[in-house]
Amino acid sequence: MLLYIVLGTVFGFILSRSGAADYNFIQSMFLFTSFQLYGIIGTAVALTLPGLFLLKKYGHTITGKPITIDLKPLNRGNVVGGVLFGVGWSIAGMCPGPILVNIGEGKLYAIAALAGALTGAALLGALYPKLQKPLGLPRA
Amino acid sequence: MTLILHDVPPIHWAVAGAGIALITLALLFLANRRLGLSSSFEDICSLALPLPYFHRKAVVSGRTWRLPFVAGLLIGGFLSAMLSGGWSPTLALGVFDQRIGFGTAGKLVWMFVGGLFIGFGTRLGNGCTSGHGIFGMSNLELSSVVTTLSFMAGGIVTTNLIYRVIF
Repeated sequence: MLLYIVLGTVFGFILSRSGAADYNFIQSMFLFTSFQLYGIIGTAVALTLPGLFLLKKYGHTITGKPITIDLKPLNRGNVVGGVLFGVGWSIAGMCPGPILVNIGEGKLYAIAALAGALTGAALLGALYPKLQKPLGLPRA
Repeated sequence: MTLILHDVPPIHWAVAGAGIALITLALLFLANRRLGLSSSFEDICSLALPLPYFHRKAVVSGRTWRLPFVAGLLIGGFLSAMLSGGWSPTLALGVFDQRIGFGTAGKLVWMFVGGLFIGFGTRLGNGCTSGHGIFGMSNLELSSVVTTLSFMAGGIVTTNLIYRVIF
């Protein structure tokens, strides 16, 4: 458990100090007036891509257990959910990780964002059986 | 451009990106965990809601690593504030205050609504910037390319509507 707290702390610190959790930087990303967020995500992917390839080839964790990656299925929910998430990311200027980081930073409005996110997730859970067939979602 | 947090300059994007890649790969190499943050909303819901959807295997098995990780995010934000000028509660929202200018109540409602879209949308799309944007794209998963393009499109249209048309 300590490992995850430590990794989360480093991750949160990076999100906080890089602009990834900053309302102005997120708007600048969507307005194309700043390169910062594209640089962050682009660099992360550019390095994770070969890293993942090598890790999968190696095939196991540091303790010798096999590395197993569950792939995400493709369905209409990806497009509908994706667009809705993008709208929310724009409105709040945060995505899920940054919501928590901002609460840690003391930005009180992020608590409202978290409350909304939990409500939204609860709503999706409640509606999932009805959305499953129309959007081709996997059985829960 | 500086951060809203204590007006400090951001760290270089390449350094931040490298750090994120390191954490992503460390999670997998050290613990066989796939980076993903939006599922933590379901983890938190599962602590309070008896819906079977929140007690499926993906949630129950993932909770054990995601909840501590999320605690770490809170600590990371706290440390970042402490080390850049001290922790204090704030409602400062940068360009929103300058251009849209709602008072506290309006700002909180705005954030709640944004959160609704985030919570519902990420879980319907099965991931967010970390799970799809970083891990999924790096793993060349089509689902992640599609979802990432969709959320970027949603964000671009919304922000441009808000800041170049409406306000």
